[in-house]
Formats: sequence, structure tokens, C-alpha cells
Amino acid sequence: MQQMKEKEKEKEIEQKPKFQMNDHIDILIEVLKRLDGPSLGVAACVCRLWCTLTRSDSLWEHLCFRHVSSPPPSSVRPVVVALGGYKRLYMVCVRPVLSRLRNSDSELVWTRDEVQLSLSLFCVDYYERRLGGSATSASSLMFLCNPAVNV
Amino acid sequence: MSPYDSATSAGSSSGSSSASSSTKPADIDGLLAGAGYKVRSSDLCHVAQRLERLETAMVNSPVELSQLASSDTVLYNPSDIASWVDSLLSEFNHTPSLPSDLPDLPDVVVGPGINPTVINEADATWTDHDAPQQQQQQNVQSLTIPPNQLTVVTAMEEDSGIRLVHMLMTCADSVQRGEFSLAGSLIEDMQSLLRRVNTTCGIGKVAGYFIDALSRRIFTPQANGLFGGSASGSASAFENELLYHHFYEACPYLKFAHFTANQAILEAFDGHDSVHVIDFNLMHGLQWPALIQALALRPGGPPLLRLTGIGPPSPDGRDSLREIGLRLAELARSVNVRFAFRGVAAQRLEDVKPWMLQVNSKEAVAVNSIMQLHRLLGSDPNRSPPIGIVLGWIRQLNPKIMTVIEHEANHNQPGFMDRFTESLYYYSTMFDSLEACTLQPEKALAEIYIQREICNVVSCEGSARVERHEPLAKWRSRLGQAGFRPLHLGSNAFKQASMLLTLFSAEGYCVEENEGCLTLGWHSRPLISASAWQAVPDANSPLGIVTL
Repeated sequence: MQQMKEKEKEKEIEQKPKFQMNDHIDILIEVLKRLDGPSLGVAACVCRLWCTLTRSDSLWEHLCFRHVSSPPPSSVRPVVVALGGYKRLYMVCVRPVLSRLRNSDSELVWTRDEVQLSLSLFCVDYYERRLGGSATSASSLMFLCNPAVNV
Repeated sequence: MSPYDSATSAGSSSGSSSASSSTKPADIDGLLAGAGYKVRSSDLCHVAQRLERLETAMVNSPVELSQLASSDTVLYNPSDIASWVDSLLSEFNHTPSLPSDLPDLPDVVVGPGINPTVINEADATWTDHDAPQQQQQQNVQSLTIPPNQLTVVTAMEEDSGIRLVHMLMTCADSVQRGEFSLAGSLIEDMQSLLRRVNTTCGIGKVAGYFIDALSRRIFTPQANGLFGGSASGSASAFENELLYHHFYEACPYLKFAHFTANQAILEAFDGHDSVHVIDFNLMHGLQWPALIQALALRPGGPPLLRLTGIGPPSPDGRDSLREIGLRLAELARSVNVRFAFRGVAAQRLEDVKPWMLQVNSKEAVAVNSIMQLHRLLGSDPNRSPPIGIVLGWIRQLNPKIMTVIEHEANHNQPGFMDRFTESLYYYSTMFDSLEACTLQPEKALAEIYIQREICNVVSCEGSARVERHEPLAKWRSRLGQAGFRPLHLGSNAFKQASMLLTLFSAEGYCVEENEGCLTLGWHSRPLISASAWQAVPDANSPLGIVTL
């Protein structure tokens, strides 16, 4: 990350700029796709363009399922999007699941079962938030201020 | 003649005798001489043993001790420990209350200055009441004498804990025998002992809850419906749901139950396009989002899902069942699962009739019972328990699967003492596992949830006692006789349960497989069991036809 920025600056100063990363968004996205979670977060702080790009859920989708042994079926995406999006899935489920199930730092392949469990937990989290308040205080806020729902 | 008198007379006589003999320096132990005591080196071993026995004798005989410790005690020639100890011991040996099993007590290293106030404090509880001989002996056996002054406090706590357990057992025993006055006085003693023990964790906390439950049983039986009064009238449905939700968050038992049951139901629904789940206790419906999501993602697409949730009626006109149904419907709509919800409000499970569930013949039915079947095992003395009727109509529904999650404990034995002992060990283990949780207020409310169970097991009887837990083996035979055969929970369920535990919990939880059923326990003591069942087709009566 750092090296990339420095290299860019060097190029800018020493040579006539032949290549501006920000002009080639598709390449930029390809680069960002290969970052890990914390790096993506840092990338979001670089400039407004990068911030907008890193907000795109497809980047986080790639991050979530990068190391899954087999690619998830296409039906997963609408479910995840409905439940809050891939970025949230990563923050709330994938990152804690991976860090607990993997003691070492290296990211190994994770299995369909782990994916399924993460999705289930994500769903429960969504539901608890809908019940009222944050997950931990869902019960205390539950019956206080839900508006009357007419279906 | 009081022992003190003879001691002083013996002391003075030996003092005079030792004063008369002038030769000392070669014999007397140098170290003790520096402290001001004159003991012959050859006597050291003898004196040490005698001091040990004196201490145990003093501890065991509170009456004499209070006399000895009175402020007008004067010691003559205190430097001559040997004869002083001998004389005191001879006095103690004459008293009949000295327990005969002294040699069993552990060896004690006694320093030259035992703090007398410490020993007094330990005996304060005993001097307050006239305990029978047997009780005192029981307490003696549990007492370990602290080796030195520095560790006095912690050792006192440890044996206070052990003493509490013994007293709890004695109290329960006297309750079973009907000796309520003895039980009542024991309760008071335990409550005073409880003040000295750390009640924020460990045995102190659990003991506190059990003492409370016992005192309810002894002092206020009517309020608990002991003789057939209204069952759990004081707890509102809202409170129950709140406590249940916090119990769900604080420890993994309910999560394990939900995920295991969902996995079994998912596998049973494979290939069906129209499915119907009947939940015997809806609460906040926390089990169902995960199933809805799993059905949404199953290969071949989601089926039409109907959910029938049974729960208590809400008192203030608010339809809490319908609200939960709406939330679940909203979730199902977001993930494109066709969903229909029906709420059945019933105060007790036996009030539910099968026609209320509106099962149609074309759908696959799953019955889900999370810690509900045991509530059907008790009833008023004149009627038989409703478990048979309920299992009967469940069988008539011909469900594809019935998931049963129950406590792995034997809290339904006829004898009170057996129930009490079993529940003491069970709930101690459960509280132990809860120590790992750091979420507040989840932990505190989860403890109240468990405390309510304890109160019900210990202080209620008849139809009011609904927490009639039975172990897996008994459920197997009971369900087998009712016409069900077990379905083995597959390896997927086991894998998922293990993964879940790794995520959420501390070290110490263990998932075990038990003939096709899964149990979750703490340090190899199973606490909750999950099993799946299917109705055995009966040649005589056709299944799937609902009889009223």
C-alpha cells in the first residue's frame, strides 16, 4: 500500500506522468480486490475516489469469499444484500469467524460449513436488529417504541 | 469445677515444681527460649502433638472454648507450655462431646501463637443454636484447620463453602422428613454463614439461590402453589421472554439447541416444496431466521414455509405472537421465501388442540420442542400427566421430524432429597459455565432465569412444579413407547455445533454424540441434549388424520 503510493509520487516527480492510477479505475479496483480487510479500511481514507470505491459492496464480496474452496452459488448475493450487505457481513461475521476458527495469521481456505454458519449468524444479527435496538440491547428496547405495523 | 480452674491449679503446681528444680539451660530449646517459652528439647515433639490435639479439641468444644476465652482468664507460668497443654487436654478428654474420629483430621502445623479470635469466629455459628450431636460431627468432618495465620481467611472461605453444602444437604434431608423447625433453624444458620462467603461467584452464589429456594419451600409454601395453587402466576410473559433472550445471549445452550434443531429440520425438509414448522414455544422467534435463510439458499430454491408459533397470551391486549410473526415475515420477504405465520395463544401446552394448528395433508410437518415436553410430566394429584395425550396427537400429525431439546438432568424423581442433590450439582455446573460470560446485563439476567428454574425444582410441587427434567435415556424410552423412533442427527449437525462452540464460548464446553443424539456439556458433564424423532407408522390407525 505505502510502496504503491510512494512509487506513484516518485513517478510524478521524476518523469512525465505516463500513468495515473486514478484515471484507470478498473485497474484500481483489481488492485483493491486483492487487499485484506484492514488494508481496505486504510484505502478508504486515501482520497474521495478511493473512499467511494471501497464502499462498493462487490469488493467486500470478493474479500468474504476469496478463500472459500468453491465459489458460493449465485443465490447467496441477493440474500446477503437483503440482510445488510457484504461489508457488514465481513465486519460482523466473516472477520470474527475467521479469527476465532483460525489461530494462525495465514488465511487458509475455509469450508462451506463455515460459510453457512456465518450466513446464519448474519441472519440472526439482522433479525435481532429488526426486533429493535442493537443486538445486545434488543430485549430491553423491544416493546418500547416499535410503530404499529400494518401488513 | 470449670476446666479453667483445674488448668490453673495444674499449671501452678507444675510451675512450682519446675521452679524448684534449678538445672535448665542444657535441656531447654533455644529458639523457644528466645520467645519466652521454656520447653525441654526432648519434649518438643510431645508438646507439638499435644498442642495439635488441644487445638482440635478447642475447636470441637465450643462451650469450653467460650469459657476459656473469657476475659478473666489468667495464665500462671505461661512459659511452661508442656504442662499447661497437658492439663488443658486432660480437661477436654473428660468431656463427652469430643468426636471420636480425631485421627482422621489432617495434620496441623501449629505456630506458637494461634490467634484466638480466629478460632472464635469460626465457632460463632455453632454457639448460637443447639445442634444435635450428629450435626456437629458432620461439621467437624468438613472443617480443615488453617496451617498459619496468613492463609486463614481463604481457608475459612473454602471450608465455609464446604460447610454450606453440607448444611444444604442436611436441611433438604430434614425437609424430606418433615422436620420443619430444624430445617428453619438451619436456614438461618446458612444465611448467617453466607454473609462470610463470597457470593459473587462459585459455591457462594449457587448456595445462595438454593438457600432462597429452600426457605420459600419451608416458610411460604402457599405462595408457590405448593399445594396445587396457580402455576407461575407471578412471572409475566414479558419477563419470561426478556430473561430467555438474555439467557440466549449469555451462554451457548439455546444457540446450540436452535442450530442443531434447524440442521435436522433442514435435512428432513429436503425435497419438499411445502413445509410447516410447529414451534412449541415461540418467545422472540430467534430460532427461525437461520432456518429461513438456510431454506432461501438451499439448492433448488426455497419451499413455501408455514410457521405456527405457540406461546402464552399477552395480558395487555398486545398480540406479541403476531408481532414476532410480522418480523419473521419481513425477514422472509427480504430473502424471497414465501412465508405464512400463525400464532396459537395458550397458557399451557396441554391446552393446545391439534385442530388449532391447521395442518394440511400435503405439507411436511416439523414439530420443534425446546425444553417444553418436560413441563407436561406433572399434574394435579387426581389427574394423569398430559404427556401421553400430547405425544398422541403429535403422532397423529405424522411429522417428518420432531426435534426435542431437553435438560440432561434427573429432576423428576419422587424423593425430594434426590431431586435436591441432583439439581445442586447440575446448577452448580451450569453456573460454573456461566462464569466465562462477560456480557452484562446478559449474565445477570441469565442468572435470574436459571434461578427461577431452581426455585421451581426445589420449592414447588404438584402442578406448579413444571421443571420436571428427565435425562435422555428416560426420554428415549418414553418416546419409544409413545410410538416414535429416533432419527440420527448427522455429522453436519455435530460439525456445526462444534464450530459454534469455538466461536462463541470459553474453553470447557464439549459437544458429544450419544447414539445419534447430541449433548452439550461443561467439562464432560452433559447439560443439554438434542434429539430427533419420527412417528412409527402404525398398521392399525392411519396417520395424518387429525382426531379431535
